[in-house]
Formats: sequence, structure tokens, C-alpha cells
Amino acid sequence: MKIAAPETNRDTYRVVYVAHPASGLARSNFPVECHVAGDKVIRCLPLHIPDEVRLYEIRTSRGTFTRPRKEVQMPLAYAWKRRIHSPTRIAFPLLRADWSPDNPKPHNRGRSSFVRIGWDQALDIVVGQLKRIRDRYGSMESVLVQADGHGQSGYLQSLHFWGHYLFDNIHRQLGWGWWVQQMRNPDSWEGYYYGAKHVWGFEESLGEPWQDAVWDDVLENAEMVLFSGNDPEATGFGMSGSIATTMTRWLRQAGIKIVAISPDLNYSAAVTADKWIPLKPNTDSALYLAIANVWITEQLYDLDYVATHTVGFEQFEEHVMGRTDELPKTPQWAESITGVPAHTIKALAREWARKRTTLSVYFGGPKIRGTMSHLTARIEAYLMAMQGIGKPGRQFLRVGAPSFDKKSLAQVPRYPEVDAIGVPFNPIVEYAIGRAPKSEVFVPRTLVADAVLNPPIAWNGSTAALATSEDQFTAYQFPPRKDHPGIKMIWNENGNQTGSWTHGSKWIDALRSSGIEFVLGIHPWLENDVVFSDLILPVQTVFEHEDLLAVRRSDLLALFYQEQAIPPVGEAKSDYEIHRQIALALGLAEAFPPPQEWLKKDYEQTASFKTLGIGWDEFKRRRVVMYDSPTWEEWVNIKSRYGYGEHDGGLSWFNRDCQGLQTPTGKIEFVSRRILKHAPEDPERPPLAQWREHAELASSPKSKKYPLLVVANHPRLRFHVQGDDVDWIREMWKVTGPDGYGYEPCRIHPADAAARGIRQDDIVMVYNDRGAVLFAAQLSERIIPGAIYTEHGAAMDLIEIDGRPVDRGGNINLIAPSPSEKYPAGERVAIPEMNVSGFLADVRKADMEALLRRCGADSLSAATRGR
Amino acid sequence: MTQKEMSINLNECTGCGLCQIACKDEHVGNDYLPWTKSQPDTGHFWIKVVGQERGQIPKVRVTYIPLACVHCGNAPCMKACPENAIDRREDGIVWIRPEKCTGCRLCQEACPYNAIYFNEQSHIAQKCTFCVHRIDQGLVPRCADVCPRDAIIFGDSDSPELSALRQHIEVLHPEYETDPRVNYVGLPRPFIAGTVVDVESGEVISDADITVTDLFNDKELTVSTDAFGDFWITDLARDHKYMVKVEKQPYERSLLVLKADQDKNVGEIRLTRDSAPSL
Repeated sequence: MKIAAPETNRDTYRVVYVAHPASGLARSNFPVECHVAGDKVIRCLPLHIPDEVRLYEIRTSRGTFTRPRKEVQMPLAYAWKRRIHSPTRIAFPLLRADWSPDNPKPHNRGRSSFVRIGWDQALDIVVGQLKRIRDRYGSMESVLVQADGHGQSGYLQSLHFWGHYLFDNIHRQLGWGWWVQQMRNPDSWEGYYYGAKHVWGFEESLGEPWQDAVWDDVLENAEMVLFSGNDPEATGFGMSGSIATTMTRWLRQAGIKIVAISPDLNYSAAVTADKWIPLKPNTDSALYLAIANVWITEQLYDLDYVATHTVGFEQFEEHVMGRTDELPKTPQWAESITGVPAHTIKALAREWARKRTTLSVYFGGPKIRGTMSHLTARIEAYLMAMQGIGKPGRQFLRVGAPSFDKKSLAQVPRYPEVDAIGVPFNPIVEYAIGRAPKSEVFVPRTLVADAVLNPPIAWNGSTAALATSEDQFTAYQFPPRKDHPGIKMIWNENGNQTGSWTHGSKWIDALRSSGIEFVLGIHPWLENDVVFSDLILPVQTVFEHEDLLAVRRSDLLALFYQEQAIPPVGEAKSDYEIHRQIALALGLAEAFPPPQEWLKKDYEQTASFKTLGIGWDEFKRRRVVMYDSPTWEEWVNIKSRYGYGEHDGGLSWFNRDCQGLQTPTGKIEFVSRRILKHAPEDPERPPLAQWREHAELASSPKSKKYPLLVVANHPRLRFHVQGDDVDWIREMWKVTGPDGYGYEPCRIHPADAAARGIRQDDIVMVYNDRGAVLFAAQLSERIIPGAIYTEHGAAMDLIEIDGRPVDRGGNINLIAPSPSEKYPAGERVAIPEMNVSGFLADVRKADMEALLRRCGADSLSAATRGR
Repeated sequence: MTQKEMSINLNECTGCGLCQIACKDEHVGNDYLPWTKSQPDTGHFWIKVVGQERGQIPKVRVTYIPLACVHCGNAPCMKACPENAIDRREDGIVWIRPEKCTGCRLCQEACPYNAIYFNEQSHIAQKCTFCVHRIDQGLVPRCADVCPRDAIIFGDSDSPELSALRQHIEVLHPEYETDPRVNYVGLPRPFIAGTVVDVESGEVISDADITVTDLFNDKELTVSTDAFGDFWITDLARDHKYMVKVEKQPYERSLLVLKADQDKNVGEIRLTRDSAPSL
């Protein structure tokens, strides 16, 4: 382990390491090297790892693979400084002018203006409202706390979870009762969580197989990698930086063929794939079943492996061959559903069998965030089992740094000690990504609008990211009791319920509903949900405070000390400090020590302190600790201690052991024992995953009215909803309409455009029963006919046309389905899944005259419009 | 004196836009006198990534091209400037002297690459300086520094990195005859792609021989279809006409003539079995 020498301060500027702005969840990837003069951020540079830090090598018969010393983050990281003084930046506490506790005028949220107030008054209001809620309703059980978003990426100061921590202390120390914890559902990996976990377990890694030393095996052995909606150039790069694109290069350098399967030609496929197989959204399971059909018909699967490593294959075979429903799942059958020619399906099936094939995903992709994606993920797991997952070159691969990754070893050569204690782990993250709710009263994030608007609601599963599979069958309800007052107050630190989650327009209805007496927003920018607050507390950007940076979202682990780069803007405080001030007013000082104390305590748990002996003050002076990687010889030695051969990795241990998975049988379960036990008759998630028709398919009756399927991917230039106000990003991405407004682009195939009289750059309305959103049409061959391509997270800018709310900002999630739609009113939501990609809508040219009559006159539009 | 050059390898460019953002981060709000005044907040693209969508579904690729001032050895802007405000340094870097520029905008009109921008606030013409303030300190321009795939290579023209690329580099718009110092590897040329199938059996046909003849100059290329029945013939001469011959025993051969005026997915080429007995 070595310590990099920080660049000495120049005469003209200071060098400060600042967190990558938008990865969040208390894990950072590498910071930017920020140059500061006075109170101005001059520039932000990529980090160059010093020569004295040893990088790893992966040695294979196809060559030696390593990573560059240059470590680059997504473009937004170098434009983040524009957000310090962006037009939406909040510098002072703001109170909605027509709000009062006795007459909150909820319907005016998002419409009326704000007035500046002082911090003393703001804190008095917050504490006063908590006391009023307690006096009136008896406890904190009427306060919904939304504090689980990505946010900015410091270790302590900029986290979004402090509300939960504060209310937990109010509960434990003041005895004011539980709070309503909004439970962040397994967004972005929904299908693996609700589906694949029942096939192969992997409870601690979100239902996705462990990545132990996986690259050693893939680079030595794999011949083909399927990018199933995988987009390392967008999602991987955003979360883990340039290692995502480096890993894609490794695949190319190793001569591994890349085949992309997705309705859209995503950013990675467009430049790196050897072949793109476009298919209609939500139909991947039909494609997979037809592949299985070819394998069974032609005996192209691993019969021995299936016999020794799996249970229940016979039932799958019966379904695939149509013995139970007289419907063989042939390539011809799948062609009509997926739009993929039968001859291509057969060729893919044979190639997958013949070549050592790995399947790759990262967070997101259309396949895994659509209606009933759990069936798709299960059938995908079945296919990987049929070809012997864990055999050489046959793995499940994440291209980019995984968040929850391993059995015992990292994905690339790293010392186990560094993995264990190299960087601290902030337990506060468990309020967002945890094993279970911390409050007895909670609501899944996909159902919060229903909890406000239509209580009581009932559902299965806590939806905690790391909850056991067993928990998915536990019944919960809100309110927990008949005499419960329901949700009366909202505490919002995220600001992205409308832009990143399901059915955003329903959440706006909830925010404006008469039962909500007070909405608190804690945020740096007046955008999206935050506009609907009654009181807004202004938050600092990462440039405005000191913090510890725990680099864990990368292939290398490191620690950085982030100095304060510039003075706070206006009266903004850090997320931590705001909650600390509220805690102090409530007499909870002990739970919120000064930041330095907290950081020092956690730093002293690391190898930097314990092994290298670098004290806190010394660390603050040095500011950088980067850990060496083991040499290949050391790594092979480490691997052997854990039972891995030189190029073993991924699930090679399961291939060897035939057991040890977190399923009831310890094997891969085609027929889930757990589902058989708990919900054998569930038509939505049967014990054997199979093809199911549903409401968001081209074959659904609804498609007559709304014939196009919306694909909504993670954005490349934003990070979810973050950064849509940055002028440099907007001029790169938005399309200027005839009215001069910057519209969000949406890709539509020329055939679908022609059928609707839509031309390039026309402003179009994408709409369904849930609402309408405006985009600028981009005619493109990068999307399959019958679907349109969008990226989520555009900043909302609501206007009204002919009495109907329309979003001019391009926030597609406003019209995404709610999971409760799948069930009759009042019925239990068996799977509270998130469907934010793969839902029906139609597109038509927008009435620009009506739009121009309306725009500019609407206060919300004026309040939230970017440049 | 050794000349500074830049090579941009489009085979490595993913269109991430980092070069464009880093350029703005360096120049917006920051003066680097005498070389340049600061860039305005928006509207200038001293380097700009342009994506070119190629082909038709499902044979689609995107080529991204970062565009900037190419620092011409024979620079039209210098000749057009009535104030002699545009200079070439000994190392080949062409720069607009901010203190001498009167804002007449003639250089903007003269530049064939549309690489010069007008700063309304400062009332001067501005463009890429190769980050001369950085290279004089031994650093590379911001765009090259930030590129995560090292698609942008900058250095002395005789450096090993640039020498290695020398045989692959091409001039963007050679017809301008301006002797640019920014050159490219992998500039897009039209492709023809398709899939060969046996409609009777409903199978793709692998290992079919595709022979492509340039009907203008008789150059011939041969490729085979892959396991998906796909073929890609790349780097064709624009607007030339090609004879495409598809052959595989025991099928009847298929012939077509195509003009390479754009990237083309010819779709499925359907072969039928030779009906004549092959005795």
C-alpha cells in the first residue's frame, strides 16, 4: 500500500479533491481534481493515479489486461461546478407565500411563489410542525420521510438518508413514535430481485451472481458476451467512471464478440457491438424461451450440468416444448412477439451454445425495469443454467464496478484486507439500501402515492434492497392500524419521485392532496418535486464543505480528504448540518456530533490508520491514500487460499460444488421451492417462470389506443434527475424548438414518424391515460419500429394546455405505470415492482399554437425553466 | 521547430462528450492571455462531438467525430484577417491575438471547417488554441487529457504515439487543401451490410462468399457471412457503384448492383437451392 503525493498548491490556485457529484449512497468513485482561486472554481480535472501506486494486471493467454492511470468520470462531473450558481440554485430558506399551518392551501403547491426567510424562523417552523403533528396525531407516524436517493457523493455531508436517522433518534430517544419510512425498492435491477433471486439466490448482491475474480475467467475463456440491455458507456460510466469503458475495451482486445440485445441501439452497442439484435420491449422472455426450444430440440444444452446443478428442469422443458399448453415456444412463435426473425433466433441459440458465452448487464436496461421483468430475469437465469453458468467463459458479468459484488474476492485483483477495511463503510446507507425497514411503519417507494391518495393499501415484501427472498411473501399494510391518521406531512430530501420513479404525475396529485398539511424540501436546487414544498431548506453542493471520500465505486479502492473548496452559497448548509441543527433544537445533540468527530472515528477503522499508521491529522494533510493492487503472482496465491485456480472466477465454485446457492435446495431452481411454498397459485409469478401476456405489451387491448412502447433508459449526460439544469449539458443534448425552448429529445423510427406525419425536430406529445409529455422528435434507426426511445430524468416543467397538465420538460416518468394498476382497487399488491421502461403510449405532433398561447404565463413553468 | 499535431482515432471515440465539456471547463470564465480571452458561457464549441448515425435497422452503427480548429498549415483565416491578428507560432499553432482582433468576423467567413466562433461580449473571434497555455507547461490539451479511451493523441509530430498512427491518418476534407495539423483515423466511408438466408429452411446461411467489385476501378473485396448470416463490407468509396455477388453451394448465386452513396443495410438476401441437377 502506498500513499500518493498530492500536487503541491500552486501560487495561483489551490488543488482540492471534490467528490464525483452524482453517484451517491455514501460510496464515491474517484473525485475530480479541482483548482480553486479565492471563491471561484477554476477547473475540474480528471485524476491521474501516481506512478508509485501499483496497478493490477490480469494475465491471460490472450494478453495482459490492466487499467489506465488516468481516471475519468462522466461529463457531468466536469460540468458540476455550473450547478453552484445555476438559475435553480437555492441560497436561502424559502417559505411558500400562501402556506400556513391552519390553512396550507395544498392545491397551490407548485403554483404559488416563495419568500425568503431566516434560518431561525425556518428551524422554528420545522420543529413547530413536528410538535404540532405529535400533538394532533399522537406520534411521528404521520410523517413520510423520503430520504433514499443518490444525491451527491460524499461520505457524510451530502447524504440523503439523514431524515431517517433523525427520526430514528426521535423515536428512540424522545419516544415520539415511529415515522413512515419510504422504502427504496430495488430500482434498476427489479427483475433480478423479484425474479432471479428465486432461481439462484444471491440475496446480498441484489439477485445478481457474485463477481469474484470474474474478469480472470472471462478474459481467458469467454468467446462471446451478450449485452442484454447493458450500456456501460452510459450507466456504467456514470456509476463507476471510466473503468466501465476500459472493461469494454478489454472484451474487444481479448477478441470476444459482443452481441447486443435490446429494443434500442444504446451508446455501447452503437460503437462496440459486433451485432445488434433489436427486439420489441418487454419481450425478452419470449426470445429466451425460443432459444431454450432450439437447445432442447437440438440437444444443445449441458444435460449433465442441468442434472447435477438444478432442480425442476422437466417442467421448464414441458412449457418450452408446449406439452402443457399446446403452444411450443418455437422461434416462429417468438418471431411474432419479439420482432426478431426466427432464423436469427436459431442462429443466436446455436452460437450461444457453441461459443463460451457470458451474459452482461449493468444497472438498468429496458429488459429489467419493465412490467413483470421478474419473469424475464428468471428465464434468463434458466438459460444460463442450461449452458452451465460457472463453467469457463460462461458467467454473469457486470461491466463496471459492482456495488454488492462478492463471495470472497473482488472482481479484479485486490487485496482482501483492502476490500475488508481499506475504506470505511457508512452504516447510514442502510436506511436506503438495507436488509429491512428501520421503522415499523413504512411504505414501498412505488406505492407512496397510493398511500397518500388511496389508503389503506396492502402489499407483499418490505422491498428493502437486501431483504431476504422469504420476505417477498410477507404481507404488509399502510396504515398499520384502522384508527391511524395516515400521512399528513412529507419530509423530502430526494426530489426525484416524479422524475425517477413510477407514475410521477400521481405523486404530484399526492403532493397537492388536501390531507397533506406540510411538505418540507431539503435540497440545493428548485427543481422537480422540490418545487411542491411549503418550506425549502437550502443545501450545499459538494464544493462547499469538507468531507471524506470513500472510493468504493471503482475497481480500485482509495480514500480522499475533501477540503472545502469555496464558501457556501448564500446561507446553504450541508445535508448533515441541516439535520444536525434540527436535532440540536430537539435536544438530540449526541446523535449528531460535529462532522470532524464522525469522520475521524470512521477513518480510524480503516487500513490506512490501522495498518499504515496514518493518523487523522496526517491523512488530512496528505489528503490521498490509494492502495496498491496485488501482483498477478500474489493474486493467484490469494485466489488459491479461497479455492480458486489461476483463471477461475465468477461462479466457478458453484460449477465445482453443485450446491451452495441461497435457494431452498442450494441449487438453481427452475421451479422455485419458495414460491411453491408461499404462493403456488400466483398467476403473476408462478413457481415456474413462463411467458405471460400483460397490459403493457403490443398484444394488449390497450395497444389499440396506445400502440407504441416507451423505452426509458438511464441518461448518459445526466445522473438520473441530476444535472438537467447545467447549460453545457443542455446545449449538447436538448433540441431547440421553434419557440426557442430546449426540448428533451426522443428517438422514433422513421416509419412510425411517417405514419404520424412527424418530421425531424418536430415537437411531439408522448401521452397515455396518465398524462402527456413534450419531446423533440429525432428520427432514428436506433430504435425498433413500434417503440420510442427516451432517457429519464429530464427536469419537469409543467404547463397546462386546454386544462390538461402537460410537461414541457420531457419527464417521461410522469406517465409510467404504477404497480397498483395491475390489481383491482383495494387488492393486495403482490409484487410492488417498478415499471419505468416498457409501457404503452402514443405520439403525435404537438399543437405549437396552443403551446405558445400558454407558455410563459404559467408560474411553475417560469419557476423551473432552465436557460 | 517540431510541429504540434493531434490525431483523433474515431475507432476509439464513443461520443461521450468529455472533450467538449472539458474544453468549456478550461475556457469558460478563464482568461489565458496573451493566447485567448475567456469563452462565453454557452454557444461556443472549440471542440464539438458530432454523431453520425449510419445504416438501417438492424445494421446500424454510430460514428462520432470530434470537430475543432485543425490549425491549418495554409490557413484561410490568416489570409482573410485584415488586421494581421491571426498568427502561427513556430510549433504550428494558429492563434487569434485577442488584443489585435477588431471583431470584423472575416476569419469566421473564411474558415472552411467552421471552427471560429464570435464572442459577442468581448467582440472578438475565438477558437481552439490547442490549450497553448498548457502545452507550454508540458501538458496536453484538456480534450486529450480527459479522453477516457485516448482517442485524442496530441504531441510533437515526430513523437512515437503520433508516428505509430501516421500510416492510418487521413485529412478531413482534403479538398480544402489547407494542410491541417488535426487529422483523423477511421473517418467514415460507406458500408454495405446484409443477412443471407435460406427462406425454404428458415435458416441463416453462414460462410457464404460475398464478392464485391468496384465497378469504377475493378477493385475486388471478399468477405464471408458469419454465424448470423451477416456480412459487412466497409470502407467503400463514396458514390462508387459496386457489384455484390453472393455465393454458397448448393444455392443459386445472387447478384446485385449498389451505389455507395450512403451506408446501406440491404436486408435479407434470400438464396434458393440450385434447381438444376448438379450431376
